[in-house]
Amino acid sequence: MTPPEVRDALRSWIRAHNPEVPEDEPADDTPIIDRRYLTSLQVADLLLFVEELRQAPLDPSGLRPGTFRTIDAIHDAFFPS
Amino acid sequence: MTGDLAETVARLSATSRRAYQNPYEAIAWPEALDRRQWFTLPRFVSLYGTPTWEAMTEDEQKVLSFWEAVNFYSLNIHGEKALMAGLAARLYRPGMEAVARYLHHFLDEENKHSVWFGTFCTRYGGKVYPDRKVAFPQEHAEGEEDFLFFAKVSIFEEIVDRYNLAMARDERLVPVARQINANHHAEEVRHLVFGRRIVEELWRQGVERWPDEVVDGIRAHLAAYVTATWREYYNPDVYRDAGLAEPWAVARDAWAHESTQAHRDEITRFALRPLAAAGMVVP
Repeated sequence: MTPPEVRDALRSWIRAHNPEVPEDEPADDTPIIDRRYLTSLQVADLLLFVEELRQAPLDPSGLRPGTFRTIDAIHDAFFPS
Repeated sequence: MTGDLAETVARLSATSRRAYQNPYEAIAWPEALDRRQWFTLPRFVSLYGTPTWEAMTEDEQKVLSFWEAVNFYSLNIHGEKALMAGLAARLYRPGMEAVARYLHHFLDEENKHSVWFGTFCTRYGGKVYPDRKVAFPQEHAEGEEDFLFFAKVSIFEEIVDRYNLAMARDERLVPVARQINANHHAEEVRHLVFGRRIVEELWRQGVERWPDEVVDGIRAHLAAYVTATWREYYNPDVYRDAGLAEPWAVARDAWAHESTQAHRDEITRFALRPLAAAGMVVP
């Protein structure tokens, strides 16, 4: 997948799990934790989605809230170019 | 603290002292285990009732039941790590003095449980499955954090206990798995009683002063916690170790299947009964 496709897939996941997210959000730099578009209880589920996109398991040890602060941050953490 | 909670603390503390055991002598650990045996009862295996399950041979199902046990015990280890950290943080904290004597037993017993779970996972599986949870910092109303901590402990343990209770009694399971489930159940019964009492007490204290948006937030958070807890029972790592292809798709399909949904609903209804009766969650 290309970087824009990955970002769109992440955006779609967040929208699917949070029906109250406004139609034009989240942008790549929207603070999704601050806006409560992503909660801590959803992270494990999101990580499984990320693993499936990568088709490889990831090491969740050492993950910090900052890893999930924006779609850009998630992309950069798990899909390095 | 109400007299009811004080009496519960005294009674459970006395029972814990009487039932005190050495965790290194409580389980008979075989040198090695053939994985082609039942380690998890079929109806408690996450794929039970799905087309994937039906397509497996009995030996393959048994091997899957082994890795499901490793996952179940891993979930307990991670739950107990968070629980022990939370209990230790509350020991002798203002407002918690009255329950401190029982928190010592609670901590001690949870540590012993982790010894059993960790021994099984590392000795026979060579690993503890990693925890995918990440906590975000959050502001809480006064008393809300303590309430949520004990309410989530209660939900987690009520679900686990349904598994323990069934698997402690069924002779199809290998003895070591039966023993772990039986010993865990025997001590968790006390933790469940304590959990119900302290959750009632903290709810009673809080609900009188929390604004409606806090109460609504608590109910939404607990509902999301139930879902997040169950999701961890459908672990792609397990399916990969059991030799299944496309482990993430297997997890997704299993989660969505009507038979697994019915299984979760049945146990969730039971697990939430104490909280639902008090209005803490909407059943």
